[in-house]
Amino acid sequence: MAAPMELSCWGGDWGLPSLHPESLTVMAYAKFSGAPLTVNTVNKSWRTPKGDLPVLVSEDIVISQPAKILNFLRKQKYNADYDLSAKQGADTLAYIALLEEKLRPALLHTFWIEAENYCSVTKPWFASRIAFPLSLYLPGKMSREALNRILLTKGGPPLYSLTEVEAQIYRDAKECLNLLSKRLGTSQFFFGDTPTTLDAFVFGFLAPIYKVCFPRVHLQEHLKQLPNLCRFCDDILTCYFRLTVSSHSPAGQDTADANLQKLTQLVNKESNLIEKMDDSLRKSPQHPPRKLTTLKLAAGGEESSPMSRLSP
Amino acid sequence: AAEPWPENAALYQQLKEDQILLSDNASSLAVQAFLQMCNLPIRVICRANAEYMSPSGKVPFIHVGNQVVSELGPIVQFVKAKGHSLSDGLDEVQKAEMKAYMELVNNMLLTAELYLQWCDDVTVEEITHPRYGSPYPWPLNRILSYQKQWEVRRKMKAIGWAGKTLEQVLEDVDQCCHALSQRLGTQPYFFNKQPTELDALVFGHLFTILTTQLITDELSEKVKNYSNLTAFCRRIEQQYFEGQERDSAAIAARSSKRSLLR
Repeated sequence: MAAPMELSCWGGDWGLPSLHPESLTVMAYAKFSGAPLTVNTVNKSWRTPKGDLPVLVSEDIVISQPAKILNFLRKQKYNADYDLSAKQGADTLAYIALLEEKLRPALLHTFWIEAENYCSVTKPWFASRIAFPLSLYLPGKMSREALNRILLTKGGPPLYSLTEVEAQIYRDAKECLNLLSKRLGTSQFFFGDTPTTLDAFVFGFLAPIYKVCFPRVHLQEHLKQLPNLCRFCDDILTCYFRLTVSSHSPAGQDTADANLQKLTQLVNKESNLIEKMDDSLRKSPQHPPRKLTTLKLAAGGEESSPMSRLSP
Repeated sequence: AAEPWPENAALYQQLKEDQILLSDNASSLAVQAFLQMCNLPIRVICRANAEYMSPSGKVPFIHVGNQVVSELGPIVQFVKAKGHSLSDGLDEVQKAEMKAYMELVNNMLLTAELYLQWCDDVTVEEITHPRYGSPYPWPLNRILSYQKQWEVRRKMKAIGWAGKTLEQVLEDVDQCCHALSQRLGTQPYFFNKQPTELDALVFGHLFTILTTQLITDELSEKVKNYSNLTAFCRRIEQQYFEGQERDSAAIAARSSKRSLLR
C-alpha cells in the first residue's frame, strides 16, 4: 500500500486530463478511490513504453490494461466499489460490456478513421507527443489497428462497404448513449451518490467525445442532446479533477453562470441573515474574511453547500 | 403484425451429430429457445453448408416465408416486427439492462467459447479440426478449417484476446457466470416471472457448455459452481423443450459421441 505507483498515460487537452479513453478511465478510478498515483504524461522523451498505454508501474510490477490496473488497485485496498451490492457489481460488468461493444467502435472511428478528424486533429496531436522518428510511424499504426478492429468485429457481410459499417456503428453508438442516459436518469452517478468503476468507464468513453473539438462531430452533437450525460462529465471534471468547465459549449457556460449566480445569491442571503441575528459577530474582525471565503469557495465548486461553508 | 407466422418456418444450422461446434450450437439453441418462448413453431434443418447459406455468414439463420434472417439480434427484431415480443413489458431502464447483459454474454461467453475452440491448440487438434470439416473430403476439410481458424485468430488479436492464456479466459468465464448468477438471484427468470430474449441467450450458452464434452471439464465446472444457473437451465429445458424428446436425446447422443472422439 505504501509502494509508490506511477501511471504513464497520454496527456490531455481541451479541458480533459487525457485524450485517451483508457487513460481517462484509470485516472478517474484513481481519483474516485483515493489511490495516490503519480501521473506521467507521455512527452517526447525516448522512454515512452512501446505501445499500450496506460501503464501502471509499482515497484517491479508492470500492468498494462485498464481492467487489470483496476484489479490491482482494488487489491491494494483502493476500492471504489465498496458499497455496491452484488447485483450492482454484476450490472457494472454488463454495462462495461455494452460500452465496449457499442460505443468503442464509434469512438475509434471518430478519432482515428474519419479522414478529416484524423488528419487535422488526432494525428498532429499524438505526433507532437511522441519522439521524432516514432511520431511518423506510431499514429499511422494506431489508425491501422483501429480500422482493423472495426472491420474484423463489425464488418462482416451483409455490410460490404466501409460507409455501411460506419452507418451501423454510429447507429449503435447513438443507441448506446440513449440507453446510458436512460439508466443514469436524474441521479448524480450511476449507483447513487458515490462514483464507482462504472462511472470511471463511462466517463473515460464519454469525455473525449464530449470535449474534443473535431471538424466532424455528429456523435458529439447527439451527446449534447442528452443533458444528464453532459452534466455527469462536467461534474466529474470539476469535482474530481479540479479543472474548470471551459467554455466550449456556450449553453454549458450559461447554465454554469446561472447556477453560480443563484448560489452566490443564496450565500449572500444566508450571510445577511446571520449578520442580522448576531450583533457581536458584526463587530468582530472575522466577518469580512468569512464573507470573502464563502464567495471564493462558491466560485470553485457548484456542489458545495452554503451552510457548511458558513460555519467557521 | 404484417403476415402471420407460416407453418413451414425453418431454422438452419450445421449437422448436429458430427459437424456443429460449441459456439454455433449455443447460438442455435438460443434462437430455438427464443422462438419456443414466443410460441412460434419452427423446424430445425441441418445442412453441412449452413454457414455459407447464411446472409451474414453466421449460424443459425431462419427462413420464414420469403425472408432469411440470421443471428439472434436481427431475429428478435424480425419477430417483433411480426408482432411477437417478449420484452414489451419492461420499462426503459430494464430494457437498457437487458441489452447490457446480452452484450456481456456475447462479449465474454461467446468470445471465450470461440477462443477455446480455435485458439487452444489441444482442442483445435482433437475436436475442432475433425468436426468442422467432417462433411467434406480431404483436402477440403483441412483447408476450410485452417481458413476459419486463421479468421478467428485474427479477430481475437484485434480485440486483444490473443495474448490471453487459457486460465485467464476461464477466469473471465467465471466472472461472467458470477455476474449472471448475482443478477438472476432466486428469481425464475432474469426479469420478473416472464422469460425474455436474455433468458433465451443465457440458456443457449450455459446449456451447451454444461452438456458438451470437451478435452477437459474445466469450462462446465465453472458454470456448475453456480447452482442457480444450473437450476435455471434445467427449468427452461423442462418447460420449453420437453415436448421435443428428439432434441434433448439428440443433445445427449452428441455429447456421448464427443466422448467417443477423444
